[in-house]
Amino acid sequence: MIRYALTRLALLLLGLFVASALIFLTLRVLPGDVAQLIAGIDAGPAQVAAIRERLGLGEPLAVQYLSWIGGVFRGDLGQSLLTGAPVAGQLAEKAQVTIPLGLMAMTVALLIALPFGVLSAVRRGRPDGTALSVGAQAVAAVPVVWAGMMLVLVFAVWLGWLPAQGFPRAGWSDPASAIRALLLPAITIGVVEGAMLMRFVRSATLQATGEDFVRTAAAKGLTRTQALIRHGLPTVGLSIITVLGLQVAGIIVGAVVIEQLFSLPGIGRMLVEDVGKRDLLKVQGELLALTGFVLVVGFAVDLVHRLIDPRQREAE
Amino acid sequence: MLRRTTVAAALLAAGALLLSACSGGSAPDASPTAVTPDPDAVVTVRLVSEPSNLDIRETAGAALDQILIDNVYQGLVSRTPDQKIEPELASDYKISSDGLTYTFTLRDGVTFHDGSPLTVDDVVWSLEQVKSTASYSDSDRLARVQSIVANGKDVVLTLSQPDSSLLWNLTGRAGLVLKKDDTTDRKTKANGTGPYKLTSWKQGDSITFDRNDAFWGDKAKVKEVVFSYIPDNQAALNGALAHELDVVTGFDANLKDQIEANGDFTLVLGKSTDKGTLAMNSTKAPLSDKRVRQAIRQAIDHNAIVKALGAGQTLYGPIPELDPGYADLSSTAPFDPAAAKKLLADAGVSDLTLTLTIPSFYGTTVSQILVSNLNDVGITLKVKAVEFPTWLNDVYINKNYDLSFVLHTEARDFENWANPNYYFTYNNPEVQKLYQQSLSATDEQTSADLLKQAAKIVADDQAADWLYNGASIVAVGTNVSGFPSVNVNERINLAELAKSKG
Repeated sequence: MIRYALTRLALLLLGLFVASALIFLTLRVLPGDVAQLIAGIDAGPAQVAAIRERLGLGEPLAVQYLSWIGGVFRGDLGQSLLTGAPVAGQLAEKAQVTIPLGLMAMTVALLIALPFGVLSAVRRGRPDGTALSVGAQAVAAVPVVWAGMMLVLVFAVWLGWLPAQGFPRAGWSDPASAIRALLLPAITIGVVEGAMLMRFVRSATLQATGEDFVRTAAAKGLTRTQALIRHGLPTVGLSIITVLGLQVAGIIVGAVVIEQLFSLPGIGRMLVEDVGKRDLLKVQGELLALTGFVLVVGFAVDLVHRLIDPRQREAE
Repeated sequence: MLRRTTVAAALLAAGALLLSACSGGSAPDASPTAVTPDPDAVVTVRLVSEPSNLDIRETAGAALDQILIDNVYQGLVSRTPDQKIEPELASDYKISSDGLTYTFTLRDGVTFHDGSPLTVDDVVWSLEQVKSTASYSDSDRLARVQSIVANGKDVVLTLSQPDSSLLWNLTGRAGLVLKKDDTTDRKTKANGTGPYKLTSWKQGDSITFDRNDAFWGDKAKVKEVVFSYIPDNQAALNGALAHELDVVTGFDANLKDQIEANGDFTLVLGKSTDKGTLAMNSTKAPLSDKRVRQAIRQAIDHNAIVKALGAGQTLYGPIPELDPGYADLSSTAPFDPAAAKKLLADAGVSDLTLTLTIPSFYGTTVSQILVSNLNDVGITLKVKAVEFPTWLNDVYINKNYDLSFVLHTEARDFENWANPNYYFTYNNPEVQKLYQQSLSATDEQTSADLLKQAAKIVADDQAADWLYNGASIVAVGTNVSGFPSVNVNERINLAELAKSKG
């Protein structure tokens, strides 16, 4: 187990290193630079050159990369070229929106996917089971943006129960308002992701129903449903954990879209705006942090999987 | 001297602006209803594009001018809603008859937001800094100023030659008065003399102004103004309908019915200097042929564009109605597809394919009409929608384009047509000469007449096409008054803003 964990950790570090080089290089290929954007379309070459020099953009790429990565090793993700604010601080501030949003979205997704997924598998072939799985297909195909707009129309504009956009300026010192502000966005992501997840739950459950140990349990006197719940669902749980790990990336992408739609000051919206402003020092720090987060979640999922699945432990 | 054209400003805004545009009258005071002001009111205003930092000295873009000038930072002079010039930090000013000496008398009792009193030294220092620092935007607008000296309570500017644009330039960034040797971090904070103090900037979300209770003039009528940055038009509409916003700028005119339906908002149209500019690269064949450029202009149905945008008016030359030197130049390229075809045939051009480079935030309304109009005369138009930084790189810097669309928002920016190095690629020495003469003129009328002549030549040369003159479109809550309506992409002066209870 420890050897497995160490190998996996080495892979994680290698992944991060490759990611950092890719992020750094691809950003340098983007056309247009921050100095010209700061100067605007009035500035002559002299003004742009003066700004570029002040920002230290003239250094060779290798030097820029090494000084960035050197900082990362010392725990410094870098500073914004435009405001001088540390990237880590900005990420921490915006994470107060995005992380709760992601957690709430995932909760919504699980609340939908688990009961309905199992139910639609158990009721397979009957009208209600078919209706459930067809419904899930339909909802999963709904674009997140459209789902969000409909929810806003009903719950914010018509009923006036929840805010249509924005996050309270007081932030989490006003928890009720903060949660209310995140509710619609979280439901929007959660419903669509949940419908997708539900199909995984359904097929995992179906697979479990057919497993030898479930059939054996049924043969020994349990009802099919009892056998499924007692012996089948643990294996379903395993596949769900794996899929959830993969969905972290999906939820981050969803947050990018949803934060625009609901004008939430989160990481996704910040990232899009920083790319548009060509604040490359900030963007590379943000992307590395996000990539690192996804890789670490994957690492954790693998370890958890290993720990709780006896079959994998024995294979060692 | 390079003139800046603050496209950067409109940026993301443009999606909205494009779908908008105007025809409205120019009542300086937007909101029609009289209200009993609530001195403790908080007014939330939707803006489209957030500045990348708050450094008004160095960072270009009307997103800064729009909110910071007049409200937070002030100059010796300022502009009124109908684009006239009036004293601000100067209580008075005099211009010598030869146009070479400007004497400003400093107002008494003005303090900065940090409490320190404004002195003539601050003024001299501020102007000197702008003039001598190349990386500051608008530094070159003080090019004709030879010396800036304090004389008692006066500040005297001596010019090397007359400059009819100087006072106007002093109403903008070049003229802002900051505290001498201030250590405030201008990128994230501000220390000005205006009726509002900048109290917070939550990046990616909002900027908040509070009333400056120590202001030298009439105090602001509201306690707090929150600028909420919402790029998405639908989110802005939802926010307004859910009563989270009091004012929505950059409103999409095509959503008029939706916002007016519940009676809580009025849509106010104001004139603007937004010029939807279709630049044509005249250094490349066949666009180097004037007949081809004219054919393109005559193939375009400008009225259809204005109609599709839902507001605005047509424009057939480089100067909009709000600026000096305007004339109706529609005769230079009337809509006539048959004439366009003939011009193309005369020029020996057939099977022409052109590429339009357009920043993607402008949406597709205009490019769709262009594709269809040009197709009608046998030109295939390919649309290349790009990110704004890409546009800057390809079109603005490298001049690597056939046709380009950008909404130029800045007032009085004729200078770009007199600059052969600008991305317009327009080089006519006669226009350049007329422009210099208009700068050197010592009375306004002469200066405007010279600009008018120059603008006529630019349009006659078919240097570019002007697809429309946009409108400032603002949805104002019925309990809000005094929100400006004219050219709000450039300035939002909040001096008269008030909100009633409830």
